[in-house]
Amino acid sequence: MTALSRAIARPDPVAGFGDRSPLHGLERRRIGIVDLAAQSVAAVAPAAAATTVVLLVAGVAPGITVPAIVAAAVLSLCIARTVGVFARRFAAAGGLYTYAARGLGTRAGLATGAALVTGYAAVAMFALLGGAYYATYLLAGLWPGLDRPLATGATLLVEAALVAFVLVRGIRVSARAALVVESLSVVLIVVLLIVLLVNIGPVDVGALVGVSRSGGLDPVALAAGAVIALTAFVGFESAATLGVESISPLRNVPRAITGTVVLSGALYVLAAVTQVAGFTALDADLAASASPVNDLAAAYGLGGWAVVADVGIAASFLACGIGTTTALVRVLFAMSRDGVLPPALGRTHRRFGTPAAAVGAALPVIAGVPLVLLGVGVPVRDAMHVTLSVGAAGYIVSYILVCVAAPVFLRRIGELTVVPAVVAVLSAGALAASLVAFFVDDAAAGGGVVLVVGVLALTAAVVIGLLRRRHAPGSIGRYDEPVAAQVLGGVPSPRHPDDA
Amino acid sequence: MRDLSARQPGAVHSALSVLEAVAHLGAGVSAQRISAELDLPRATTYRLLNLLVEDEYLVRTPDLAGFALGAKVTQLAAVAAPPVRLSSAARSVVDDTRRVVRGGVHVVLFVDQRVVVVDPDPDFPLSDHARLLREPARYALGRLLLVEDGAATGAEVDAARADLARWGATRQCGEITATGGCLAVPLRDGAGALAGALGFSGARHRVDDPSEVLAQLRPAADALAPLVV
Repeated sequence: MTALSRAIARPDPVAGFGDRSPLHGLERRRIGIVDLAAQSVAAVAPAAAATTVVLLVAGVAPGITVPAIVAAAVLSLCIARTVGVFARRFAAAGGLYTYAARGLGTRAGLATGAALVTGYAAVAMFALLGGAYYATYLLAGLWPGLDRPLATGATLLVEAALVAFVLVRGIRVSARAALVVESLSVVLIVVLLIVLLVNIGPVDVGALVGVSRSGGLDPVALAAGAVIALTAFVGFESAATLGVESISPLRNVPRAITGTVVLSGALYVLAAVTQVAGFTALDADLAASASPVNDLAAAYGLGGWAVVADVGIAASFLACGIGTTTALVRVLFAMSRDGVLPPALGRTHRRFGTPAAAVGAALPVIAGVPLVLLGVGVPVRDAMHVTLSVGAAGYIVSYILVCVAAPVFLRRIGELTVVPAVVAVLSAGALAASLVAFFVDDAAAGGGVVLVVGVLALTAAVVIGLLRRRHAPGSIGRYDEPVAAQVLGGVPSPRHPDDA
Repeated sequence: MRDLSARQPGAVHSALSVLEAVAHLGAGVSAQRISAELDLPRATTYRLLNLLVEDEYLVRTPDLAGFALGAKVTQLAAVAAPPVRLSSAARSVVDDTRRVVRGGVHVVLFVDQRVVVVDPDPDFPLSDHARLLREPARYALGRLLLVEDGAATGAEVDAARADLARWGATRQCGEITATGGCLAVPLRDGAGALAGALGFSGARHRVDDPSEVLAQLRPAADALAPLVV
């Protein structure tokens, strides 16, 4: 008789497992890989980014736009792999916050949490603003006498109400809504790009990869372009916040994260190829265009298609709002269950199993800040620029911390090997360099974002300094632990005395 | 292990060795210890462990550094158990009993202290086959095992022992569903050792006062025992 069959026949009692997860209350194991991936793709909003990021990259890396985007995709894949180190080993609702707390302890965990909450909240504001901007633009086409500022504010409120409704109504509803809306936007953009590409005709491959230019690749321009392109990928990790709600999370969450990077990267490369080839064929300057996809559509006699692109972009922004807010409220929920935020924020909806209290706390802020910005007369495009830049900085800071945390975590659990450690350390270095470049770039352009990020970082540092005293080392980072019923011979042991 | 192809038979072998090692070394064993025990490269061991955890054959301990067997491994044993069929003589005894008893009549054998269902009643199926295998002591069938196992103690065991002494059968009355219950009459081999059981599941009042059902089951068990063990 083997040890295994003996253990099955007469299991030894195993203590140390609870009778329910510390993250109880959320609906468990509900959504499959497709809905899970839709969450991450929606948070990235590749359809909206595909039409705007190529222009921005072309501005700093003319002639090597495609290589810069590919470089950003490779870096994003390395980060995705490092996030996967955690996601393959345990399921969490706090995403990178929980991961960093498990690797680096309380202080770094809280710093990651602050950066991540900033990232999700700011990008959610950006998405609501963007959705309102494009919806108003489309409405104005139908109804020329529209009062634009008023319409933008009203659309923003409608969007926020819609996001709140689907988020409270259940993870299946919000994931499916994000899936449908995001698929619509991606399909519209892909169809438009392919129609354009067919009209443009044969593509000069040399011009795309930059080898036809004299002097070869310019590494500084390539890096600058890659930093901009990286901001188009951020959000791919947000499936990590659905560890509790996903079916087979240890398998599906890493796949959803990697798949999102691959899908977004493919879409950006397609967009870049189309726009670079289109402008090369027209012998025009891509970086000088205000709206390259619309210009190309007009140049190739597809003017009517521009409306299609705008509908796609508005849909992508709405999906982005749903996706980032979904992730945001789960991080807040996890922080509440860790005792960092008030226990009331950790309450879940009794029937729908969603973090309803966190939704109620987050949405007024997410809708309120953009409304205040618009109310004091900040132009929509400027408000979008600031929120997106602050959000991207938040994401990049949390990526750096989680990349530093991965090797420490692996060492702590005795599973450190060479490849994941090298990938994580290289990614952390590249990300830190990107962040510096990002800030230098912004300081040169006036420094508005640096100022906001500086104020937020200072506030976070003070709050963390205060919180740090309340939390013993290792007291945060609760995850979806296996319960005794999942363990052969498992005997429930009371472990979380404060866990009502 | 959905992505497994026939080109990776070694992976199956290694995965089973990892489960075997966790069973042998006990709950809480670390990845490095398993790698050393099996003499497998560390990266390979970690990959196998992660795959087995994904499929819940293993679980990580709450500190994430150790491993324990998952409850799901019992499915491996259920698959591996050889199919057992009743002889036609035994079958006719069981069929005759089913004709006169109003409720489910099931035949089980006990192998390595586990319940192996040999012939469930096709007209009155078992209420929850998987749970019977997982938590046998909640059912009359599993309680026979408890009574036979001298080491088991507790109020539940004493009650089952009293039932067996009084009725020659163990009982479960309304504990799983309020209106149902079950009985188990032991099947013993020539030396008197417990080898299997004839089970009854049905309305609770037939279990609260089992004399009527047992009047049918006891002779059937006596006739069946020499035919199945």
